Amino acid sequence: MSEENQVEEQPKPLVLGKLEANYADALLAQDESRGTVVVVIRKERAYAVLEYLKTDPELAYTFLVDVTAVDNSQMESELMQFDYARFMVVYQLYSYQGQCRLRVKVPMPENDLSIASVTALWQGANWLERETYDMFGITFDGHPDLRRILMPDDFEGHPLRKDYPLRGRGERERFNFDKQNV
Amino acid sequence: MGLDFVGRGPEETDGNIITTTIDKVVNWGRKNSLWPMPFGTACCAIEMMATLASKFDLSRFGSEAIRFSPRQSDLLIVSGRISIKMMPVLKRIYDQMPDPKWVISMGACASCGGVFDTYTLIQGVDQFIPVDVYIPGCPPRPEDLIDAVLQVQQKIASGASPKGVEVVYE
Ligand code: SF4
Repeated sequence: MSEENQVEEQPKPLVLGKLEANYADALLAQDESRGTVVVVIRKERAYAVLEYLKTDPELAYTFLVDVTAVDNSQMESELMQFDYARFMVVYQLYSYQGQCRLRVKVPMPENDLSIASVTALWQGANWLERETYDMFGITFDGHPDLRRILMPDDFEGHPLRKDYPLRGRGERERFNFDKQNV
Repeated sequence: MGLDFVGRGPEETDGNIITTTIDKVVNWGRKNSLWPMPFGTACCAIEMMATLASKFDLSRFGSEAIRFSPRQSDLLIVSGRISIKMMPVLKRIYDQMPDPKWVISMGACASCGGVFDTYTLIQGVDQFIPVDVYIPGCPPRPEDLIDAVLQVQQKIASGASPKGVEVVYE
């Protein structure tokens, strides 16, 4: 009985050991969420770390599952952790080789909402970054075509920000029929 | 078939002549051969497909010739959510349909926005295009759509002009 109750000592994930060894300066925090390793990376080093995660032959996170963002402006507990950075860009990665997932989060202070684009690493990042730009107003440096993807081109504001009113600012009554390329 | 509007000819023709008006004959033809243009953007469209398929079979009412070109159709079925980015497309399609044309707004979303009271959703397509028949429900059953088509047919048979035309001639 006693053996069953014992919490099994999990071996430390390979990726954490490698990041600690090579990118200790970039690593802000590490966590584990429902079996997924979560690492928080400094913004300036995000591209380098993501490139390493993809190209390292042992890790080989070759599949970018998703790019999105979180607006923590109403989550005091989250805000406090990373120097009151309002947004958090989130990359979900998967490694076919290791058959494991990894979540990379990058805190973004509100006064500087630009981060290096990863389209050069994963082609699939193109539309995902456009969506993140459209919904949160985060710009991706080096993106080949950073336009809105879901909202109309003449839309103002970024609707997934927590300060955007749910019913909008009247755009659903007075949108422009002519300006849009139908 | 709704031929009750006709009159019989003189006695000596043995009833082999019928008399009516051109309008009535034309409307009778129109009503029994509506060509729908489906505009399905969400879950309601699934019910619309079911209506067209063999189990409910809209062709029993003469409306099976679904056209994906607005220029060949005279009944627009708006089934699903319409966002502010989609509304210009819908308006363009409505404008391309030849007169006379009728519009069915199918389901809560198309009629009033439904549960999606959000920044991006049109709260009722009738703000931008004239709607003849609304169908409540989320989603409406195929019988409801058939009933709506029958109501459009009644409207045509009665000689009433479509909602859109009334606006033009006012
Ligand atoms: S009314 Fe209901 S079923 Fe129809 S499109 Fe809206 S949510 Fe879907």
